[in-house]
Amino acid sequence: MTAGAMNIELKNIRFRYGKITALDGVDLALGEGACGLLGPNGAGKSTLLRILLGFLVPAQGEGRVLGYDIRSGQFRIRRAVGYMPEDDCLIPGMDAVTFAAYFGELSGMPRQEAMKRAHDVLFYVGLGEARYRPLETYSAGMKQRLKLAQALVHDPKLLFLDEPTSNLDPQGRTEILELIKDISSKKDIQVLVSSHILTDIESTCSRVVILNKGKVAAQGELAALKEIQYSLYELRTKGETAGFLQALKGRGCRVEETEDELLKVYMPPDMSRLEIFRTAEAGGVQIRTFVKSRTSLEDLFAETVGVD
Amino acid sequence: MPIAEKGYAHWDGTFIERRLPWWPIARLGVRLAFKRKFFKPVFTVSLLPAVIFLAGIYMSERIEDFQFMFRGRSGNRLLAVDAAYFKTYFTVEGTLFLMVMLMVLAGASLISDDLKFNSLQLYFSRPLRKRDYWLGKMGTLFFFLLIVTLVPGLLFILFKVIFAGSFRFLADFPWIPLSVVAYSLLAAFFFACYTLLLSSLSKNRRYVSILIFLVYILSDVVYGIFNGIFHEPAFCLLSLKCNLQQVGAFLFRAALPYDVPWVYSFLVLAAVCALSGFVLKRKVRGVEVIK
Repeated sequence: MTAGAMNIELKNIRFRYGKITALDGVDLALGEGACGLLGPNGAGKSTLLRILLGFLVPAQGEGRVLGYDIRSGQFRIRRAVGYMPEDDCLIPGMDAVTFAAYFGELSGMPRQEAMKRAHDVLFYVGLGEARYRPLETYSAGMKQRLKLAQALVHDPKLLFLDEPTSNLDPQGRTEILELIKDISSKKDIQVLVSSHILTDIESTCSRVVILNKGKVAAQGELAALKEIQYSLYELRTKGETAGFLQALKGRGCRVEETEDELLKVYMPPDMSRLEIFRTAEAGGVQIRTFVKSRTSLEDLFAETVGVD
Repeated sequence: MPIAEKGYAHWDGTFIERRLPWWPIARLGVRLAFKRKFFKPVFTVSLLPAVIFLAGIYMSERIEDFQFMFRGRSGNRLLAVDAAYFKTYFTVEGTLFLMVMLMVLAGASLISDDLKFNSLQLYFSRPLRKRDYWLGKMGTLFFFLLIVTLVPGLLFILFKVIFAGSFRFLADFPWIPLSVVAYSLLAAFFFACYTLLLSSLSKNRRYVSILIFLVYILSDVVYGIFNGIFHEPAFCLLSLKCNLQQVGAFLFRAALPYDVPWVYSFLVLAAVCALSGFVLKRKVRGVEVIK
């Protein structure tokens, strides 16, 4: 890999399960840092990960992961990639050191080095003291960190994290998110996080890819996407608002009214905010408060995939 | 507050291309088996038939010293170490039963635990083929099965030659080493396939243990019932034990215990192995790594 090269590059990837199209012309280019993979159920996230790990061969399109072709370089990809599954995974009867060393060895590390590295990685994820305890006695948070340790043991260049904070209490969740941030910011490891918890993505990732119905609905820098996709304003008004709201909707705005009579107006990118004032004037409505709102990933996700 | 007790450091080593990528899987299976409750006693007991038969070989060469044990009958005839002696060790009910017990304790959990604890996801996110995974699991079973078949068989030949002080035995039965190897591999392959087949059918190790034991025993009971009613030797094909005895008798050039061609028994065993391959292919799928 040369500096600045894309770690994941996909061009026009199509994949079908029988008659169902799972991915339809997906183009992706992801470089360094942490990237969130979002999408509702059935959007194609799992299929995309399967293709990236080389378990499925796309019907059409081409792609490279860490410079290896997704059709012919599956084994080299899996050696260079770490994968942390969503489900609890363990082998009963083992302790954390032998567990992590075992998977390091299966990745191709020499046995002695895998054992040494297992100790280091377990200390890194905070399981140093518990590394000789039977895995069956681990708490949910410890199992999650164990999965992260086995994904890191062979020092991957790219880390796939599938729902890394599922089943965790707030404290455990914070700890895992801290680790993800640390890995992606300082360790030259690119992280791809697939999660339904949008706040997790927002706190760990600088980029997002949103899939919807097998297509890339949005991708890019999170901050820029939130800016580009739409502008959100919060309004408080005086007067009869029914006609005003109807007129805004007619101009392509999405309007939500909260319980405390706050109006949230999502403006399309090509609309000027002056239009809101003109519409209010025409409807005989006074605008008492007009604030540009900070938009969240949740807002972006809802807007992109078309759900509330 | 960061939970890391130590900072992250990159690994500066190089990956190696293993000629046998399944070897770590087989080795782990053996290690975990010895940690299991009751395994060590059963493993020790499973070596007893070999020790007894080895003692028999020693006695056969010192028959005058042990004549008092035969109460006037000819010890030479009772303790003749020939092809039938080998066949008896390999196909006697005790040996086969102990092999099944080894499979119950060492093999039941091999795939069922991976299914229950989602370990398949971790295996197949590594540069491993399905073939490597199966070979690793089979390797564990082969280790234990060959310890009670191939190793004693070859030791019998070696000690027979040592105790006799000549190669006469090998001159009389030059094909015996080959038969020992062939039968040991066949029995090990069959029991390994049989165990992995049943282990892949459930996520509950206990159910699998019971299945491994019951299917073996019941197949023999069913044969006994049908044979008792119809007096038809062909029903021996229903019994796993009888089929192994038939093929064993053929390989050691002994008289077949049942009046049925040995090829049919071989085909029954082969069918179980083929079924195992089919089921494993469906149950162990790499694509399930990402759910």
